[in-house]
Amino acid sequence: MEVGWDRIFFWIVNFFFFIYGVTLMAIYFSGIILSDRAVKRNKRRAQFLQVKDIVSATDIPSVTLIAPAYNEGLTIVENVRSLLAIQYPFYELIIVNDGSKDNSMELLIDKFDLEPQDATFILQPIPTKSVNKIYRSRKPQYRQLTVIDKNNGGKADALNAGINFAHTELVLCTDADCIIEQDALIKMVRPYLEEGREEIVACGAAIGIANDSVISNGVLKELRLPNKLIPTIQVVEYIRNFLIGRMGWGEVNGLMLVSGAFGMYPRTRMIEVGGFNHTTVGEDLELCFRLRMHMENLKKPYKIVYIPETLCWTEAPTDVNILVKQRERWARGLWETLMLHRNLFFNPKYRNMGIFFFPYWCIFEFGAPIVEFLGIIFFLFFWYWGLIGINTAILLFLAIYLIGCIFSTISIFMYIKNFRHYTTPSQIIELLLAAYLEPFLYHPVLLFGQMKGYYKKLFNLNTGWGAMTRKGFNTSS
Amino acid sequence: MFVEILIFIIKLLFLTLFGTWFTIGVSLLYRSRRKHHLNKIETAFAEITSRYLYPLPGEPFDLVRANRSFRKLGIIPGKPGNVQYLIDLMIRTQRSLLGKNYDKLELLYGQIPPYRASQKKLRSKKWHVKARGLREIYEMDQNQYLKEVMREINHENIYVRREAQIAMVVFLGWESFRFIPYLKREMSLWQQIKVVEKLHDLYPIANIKYLKKAYNSEKPYATEFIMRIIRKFELHEEIDFIIKHLDSPNFDTREAAIYCISSFKLSQKQLVKLKSKFMNVGNVEQQVQLLKYINHISGQVDIAFFKLLLYTGNDILKLCAAEILWSHECLEEVEEFYYQQYAVKPQPA
Amino acid sequence: MKKALIIQEDIIILRIMERLMLLNSYNCKAIRTISDLNIEDQAEDFDIIISEILFDGIAPLDFVFQIQEIIAHKSLIIVTNMGQDRIKNEILNTNKVEGFFAVPFDLDRIQKLIA
Repeated sequence: MEVGWDRIFFWIVNFFFFIYGVTLMAIYFSGIILSDRAVKRNKRRAQFLQVKDIVSATDIPSVTLIAPAYNEGLTIVENVRSLLAIQYPFYELIIVNDGSKDNSMELLIDKFDLEPQDATFILQPIPTKSVNKIYRSRKPQYRQLTVIDKNNGGKADALNAGINFAHTELVLCTDADCIIEQDALIKMVRPYLEEGREEIVACGAAIGIANDSVISNGVLKELRLPNKLIPTIQVVEYIRNFLIGRMGWGEVNGLMLVSGAFGMYPRTRMIEVGGFNHTTVGEDLELCFRLRMHMENLKKPYKIVYIPETLCWTEAPTDVNILVKQRERWARGLWETLMLHRNLFFNPKYRNMGIFFFPYWCIFEFGAPIVEFLGIIFFLFFWYWGLIGINTAILLFLAIYLIGCIFSTISIFMYIKNFRHYTTPSQIIELLLAAYLEPFLYHPVLLFGQMKGYYKKLFNLNTGWGAMTRKGFNTSS
Repeated sequence: MFVEILIFIIKLLFLTLFGTWFTIGVSLLYRSRRKHHLNKIETAFAEITSRYLYPLPGEPFDLVRANRSFRKLGIIPGKPGNVQYLIDLMIRTQRSLLGKNYDKLELLYGQIPPYRASQKKLRSKKWHVKARGLREIYEMDQNQYLKEVMREINHENIYVRREAQIAMVVFLGWESFRFIPYLKREMSLWQQIKVVEKLHDLYPIANIKYLKKAYNSEKPYATEFIMRIIRKFELHEEIDFIIKHLDSPNFDTREAAIYCISSFKLSQKQLVKLKSKFMNVGNVEQQVQLLKYINHISGQVDIAFFKLLLYTGNDILKLCAAEILWSHECLEEVEEFYYQQYAVKPQPA
Repeated sequence: MKKALIIQEDIIILRIMERLMLLNSYNCKAIRTISDLNIEDQAEDFDIIISEILFDGIAPLDFVFQIQEIIAHKSLIIVTNMGQDRIKNEILNTNKVEGFFAVPFDLDRIQKLIA
C-alpha cells in the first residue's frame, strides 16, 4: 500500500503535537507531586519557625519595602497607611513617586507631615532618572517612611531608585496599589533565616485576586470571589500558577521568575547585578535570569524560593481589552528576556539553568501559544482535507479537556486544603465552574493576547507598558 | 480500537474527576469540624490555665475536673493529634510567661496529659516528629533526656540538629559552647538567633571562658555565631574578634561582622584598626556600610581618611566620602576635589 | 469598681489577664482585636487598658498615638510579642504608656502596676 506525502506530513505533525502535549502534561503533573511535597514541607518547617518567634526575635534581617507610585493620588494615602502597618520589627518603607502628574506628592507631604532632606550627595549605585527630593516625616509614628520624588522613568527605574536609598539587608519590591498581608514580611523573611549552604537570592509569594472583596483601611477584611467571570477565572489561574507551577519549580530550584508585584531580594546582590532592567517590560523575569546568571558566574550555591501562602492581593483585569493588553505585555516581556539571554540556551556553563530551565522557558512557556495557534491552523487544514475523523477528534478533545479539568480541580483542592481563603461550598463550586469554563471563554482571549504580543515584537511595534486601568478595590472605613 | 481506548480513558478521567470532587467535599467537612474542635480545646485550656494561675476566692482549682474535661475533649492516647495540640498550647503558654507563673505551669503540666509523649518522638525516623520531640523536651525542661539530645547535634536534618543544639544551650548554658568546634554541619541564621536568644533569656551572665573555646573553630558559621553572641551580650572586651573578621574573604562572615560591629562604640585604637582593614573589604556596598558606621561612631571627622578615599576610592566611595565630609561642614575639601577635575576652576555664581 | 480593657490576640494570655484583673477588683472587658470593640466600649472611660500593638491596618506607634482618641483611658500598658529594644524605646518615648512588657513577661510586674 502506497502512503502519500499528505499522510506522512499528517503523521509527522500529529506526532509532534502528541509529544509536545504529553511532555507538557507530564511536566504539569510532576508539578503537582513536587508542589504537594513542597507545601507539606513548608507547613512542617513553619512549626519550627512560627510568626510569633520571628516577630519577637532581635537579630533578624532588616527589610525595606519599596513601592513605586505613579498617578495614584486617589488611593495613595490609604495605601501608604496600610503599608506602614505591616508587622515587622526592623522595617522601613520607601515610596517612590515616579514623576506623578497628579497631586500624589502634595497629599503625601500633607498627610504624613513630610519634610525634604539634604540631598546634596546622593549615592546611586544603580543609575536612575534624576531624583528631585527625598522626604521624611516629622512625626515619630511615621519615622520608617521615606518618600523619593523623582522624574518619571517607569516602574523598574523607580524600584532601582528605592533600592539605592534603602540601607537594609533585604528589599521587598511591590506595587503601591497591592494589598499586602500584615504579616507578609515575617513570612517572607523565613527562607533567609533558614538558608544554609545555598544563598537565597530571591523569594516570592503567591499573589491572590481580591476584586469585589471587602477592604478596610488598606487591609483585606473579607475575601470574596469576584462578581465577574473573567477575574474569577483568573483566581483559578493564579492558584494553579503559584501553587503548582512556582512551588513545583521551586522544589527543583528551577524558578526563573519572581513576580514583580511581590518579590524580596538581598539588597547587596541587587546592586551587584545593577537592579531591574528598565528597557524591558518583563523586568521581573529578566532580573531573576540575571541574578541566577550572576550566582552561576560567581560559582556560589544559590536558591530562588517561593512561599505558597498568598501574601499579596491585587486587582485583576475585569475587561477583555485590558486583559489582552496585560497578556500582550507579558508576552513581549518574555520575548525580550529570552532574546536578551539567548546565550543561555543549552549552555552547560550555566548548569541546570542552561541545560533544562532556560530551554523549558523557550520551548514551553514561550512556545506554547505558538504551538497552540499552529494546532488550530493544522486542525482546520487537516479537517478540510478530510484527514481527521470528527468522532475521534471530539473524543480526543474531551479527553484533553478532562485532563485540564482534573489539573485545575486538584489545584483548587490543594489550595483549599492548605489555606483558609475560600471555605464555603458555594465559593468552591464557583471556582470549579470557572475552571471548567476557562478553556472555552478565557483561554482563547489569552492566546490572542500572547500572539498579539509576539506579533508586535516580530514587527517591532513597541507600545511600552500600555495603560492598565484599574477599577479600584471596594473600600470601607 | 483507538476510539475504544479513548472512550476507556475518558471514563477513567471522569472517575478521577468525581473522586477529586468527593475528596474536596470530605476535606471541607473534616476541616470545618476539626477547626471547631481545636477551638474548643484551646478555649478549655485557656479557662483551666487561668483558673489554675489565678483562682478566685471560693473557687479552688480542681485538677480532677480539669483532667476530666480534657478527656471529654478527646485528649486521650488514642488521639495523638489532639494530644499534640494540647502540648503545643502548653509550650505556647509557658513561653509567654516568666516568674512564679512559669514554675506553677510546670507543676500543672506534670499532672495533666500527655505523659512521656516527647521521649517517644525522639525515636521516630521522621525528622519533623523527632525535632518536635526535642523542642518539647527543652521547652518543658525535661533535662533527664540530655544524653538522647546530645546524640542529635550533628543530625543530617537541619531542624533536628537545630532543636538539639538549642536544647543543649537550654540545659548546659555557656558550657555547651565546648561543642561548637565539634559541630560538623552549618548553622542557619535562625539557628544562631534562637541559640543566642535562649542563652540570653536563661543565662544572661556571660561566661567568656567557654566562649573562647569556640574561637578555635574555623568554620564560618561558628565565627558568625560567636560574633552574634558578642553583640547580644555586649562583650566589649571581645570586639577585636569582630574586627578581625571584617575583611574575611567570606561574604556572609563580613556581612555578619559589619552587622555586629554596628552596635558597638569603638576605642580610638580599635577605630584605627578598623580603618586599616577598610580597603581589604571585598565589596563596595559593605565598604559603604562601614564608612557610614565609622562616621556614626567617630566624634570628630577623620578628614585625612575621608580625603584619601575621595582621591583613591571608586566612584561610590568617593561620593560617600564627599557626603560625609560635606555633612561635617568640610566644604573646602569637597569643593577642592570636584574643582580639580576641571581644567578651569568654575567661578562661584 | 474600676474598669479595665484587655486586648490580646492570644486567648490563653487574654483569659489569664482577665482573671488577674478580676482578682484585683477590676470590671474587665477582654477582647482579641480592636475590631471587637463596640460603640458602648468607645463611650467608656477605662481606668486601664492592657493591649497588644500589633493590629491589622495600624502601625504599632500609630496605635499608641491614636488609642487615646479612640477609647478614653487613664493609663495604658503594652504587652506585645514585638518587644525589641528599639520598639520599646520608641513607644516609651511617646510618654503615652505606663508600662511596656515584651513576651515572655512576668505577670507579677503587671500586677504591681495595676494594684
